[in-house]
Amino acid sequence: MENIGSNSILNSPKYKAVAYGMLFIVCLLLPKIITNMYYLGIINYIILYTILCMGLNLILGYAGLLSFGHAAFYGLGGYTTAILIKRYGFSFLPCPLLSGVVALLFGILLGLPTRKVRGDYFCLLTIAFGEIFRLVAQAWIGFTNGAMGIVGIPIPSILGWSIRTEADFYYLGLILLAFTYITISLLIHSRFGRAFIAIREDELAASVMGINTAIYKIIVFAIGCFYAGLAGSYLAVYQTTVTPSNFRLEESCLMIIMVIVGGMGSLLAPVAGGIVMTLATEYFRSISEYRMLIIGVIMVAVLLYRPQGIFGTSAFKD
Amino acid sequence: MFLDVLFIGIMIGAIYTLVTIGYSMVYSILKLMNFAHGDVYIFGTFICYTLLGKYHINPFLAILVAAVMGGILASLVEIIAYRRLRSEQHRMISMITALGAAYVIQNCNELEWGNQVLDFPSILSAHTFHFFGMNIPLTQIIILSIAVGLIILFTVFLKYHPYGKAILCVSEDIPTASLMGIPINKTISMVYFIGGMLGVFGGILYSTSYNAVSLSMGFRGTIIAFTAAVIGGIGSLSGALVGGMFLGICENFIGVYVSTSYRDPITFLLLIIVLLVKPTGIMGAVEQSKV
Repeated sequence: MENIGSNSILNSPKYKAVAYGMLFIVCLLLPKIITNMYYLGIINYIILYTILCMGLNLILGYAGLLSFGHAAFYGLGGYTTAILIKRYGFSFLPCPLLSGVVALLFGILLGLPTRKVRGDYFCLLTIAFGEIFRLVAQAWIGFTNGAMGIVGIPIPSILGWSIRTEADFYYLGLILLAFTYITISLLIHSRFGRAFIAIREDELAASVMGINTAIYKIIVFAIGCFYAGLAGSYLAVYQTTVTPSNFRLEESCLMIIMVIVGGMGSLLAPVAGGIVMTLATEYFRSISEYRMLIIGVIMVAVLLYRPQGIFGTSAFKD
Repeated sequence: MFLDVLFIGIMIGAIYTLVTIGYSMVYSILKLMNFAHGDVYIFGTFICYTLLGKYHINPFLAILVAAVMGGILASLVEIIAYRRLRSEQHRMISMITALGAAYVIQNCNELEWGNQVLDFPSILSAHTFHFFGMNIPLTQIIILSIAVGLIILFTVFLKYHPYGKAILCVSEDIPTASLMGIPINKTISMVYFIGGMLGVFGGILYSTSYNAVSLSMGFRGTIIAFTAAVIGGIGSLSGALVGGMFLGICENFIGVYVSTSYRDPITFLLLIIVLLVKPTGIMGAVEQSKV
């Protein structure tokens, strides 16, 4: 990405400012241009998955941990919001943050073993965690309402702005996405971010340079989970229901593929993955019985022929 | 009651051991989490279901055909999805293609047999034995003896047959084994073939004992196999036995004395505890990581 020469017009600050400004205006006006509710709905799902993928990209692409538990953190966020609003009468405003924090705390809990449990075993640990979450959500009827899920989550409102139409949800999603993008980009370009990029590139060298690799990995993992919680909160109010089947292992796998198709380890690549894969699943909806077949073939084909993903630069450094 | 539960636990444990052996062998050679394992064995079990239910073929023949087809599918997956990536430094890649392969097989199974629970035809008689106050159906005894027989057969094969020895060599060190003239690709395909076959045997025995077969047993089988392999210590036969038995017995006791809906969560919790306390498993040796 940085290969374009510094004197190129594409890199001049003026051009960048104009480009970002136009992007901003297009994003703001999008619901005015696309009035079809169905297309707007798809765009909302793209936003949702992009937030999830950006979080997962931190874990996969920056911490180098393969986590199959992302759907569980997504679910933790969704259930937190649903239960807070339905059961404890919270207003929507603090919910995304609280959902993120709950996911963050569980992320720290699950991240702690990375100090001891490595590679495939960690991957198994995340599978086990994801399954435990889903099965407990299914079995603990008193708290989570079992397999029926929590239904009828009321329309959220923020400071008098009640969010009911697809366009409203689009703006809410856009705010969350902007928050996600800005915080992650600040994180990556900070001292902290450089440290964990160093860990990804060469863990041993990083630890010799005095970076506490274990703690950094746990923190990156937990932060990635935070965004999953955020997305879960959005899903809860957008769908007005959360059920355990929203957060199956399949969902985690789909996110992993999105990140890989986009290309791991670069900031914007997950956006591409999210868009491509959401559109693909939507496009193939009419033949939905072949959905997993197609996803499986895409997974194998992408990794056999282009393991760095569509926009990835340096995926899978060992 | 207690002895009944224990006996059934041992039987389930023996079946899990069968499924785990194949998984564990593959893992010890390629260090690859074969996500497709469970879907392959459920494919074989479905084949057997169709052969028995639709075509009324002799059960022994049907089981054999199903096992061979499962084995062929397993080696096909290896050739298509894993072989090209074997030289890849990062193991995450082959893990993800494994998952992709699992999805493809699972989807194909679903297209053919649906995702409902199907009645698996009972091959064995429903006679029940009584001794020491236990009520043990004949079926369970036969299943247990078949499972134990297969485990012993495979152990003998691995220890004494030249091909078995080749497998052990490859799992020890691929480059050295290749220098010794062992055909690596053939041996690895064979491991997949045998692993798939043993898995299908396990799947058929499992389905026979519960009279049911369903798609979801596939993914669960993968997780069970990996859990049992990790609990026992991955890559060793005795580990597969210990892990499989432990898991089968635990699961059965939890299912009977606690609750069936918390059976799987508790199983996974056990896995997490084992991973945290002794990541190398009960029987496993410490593996040194190279720097």
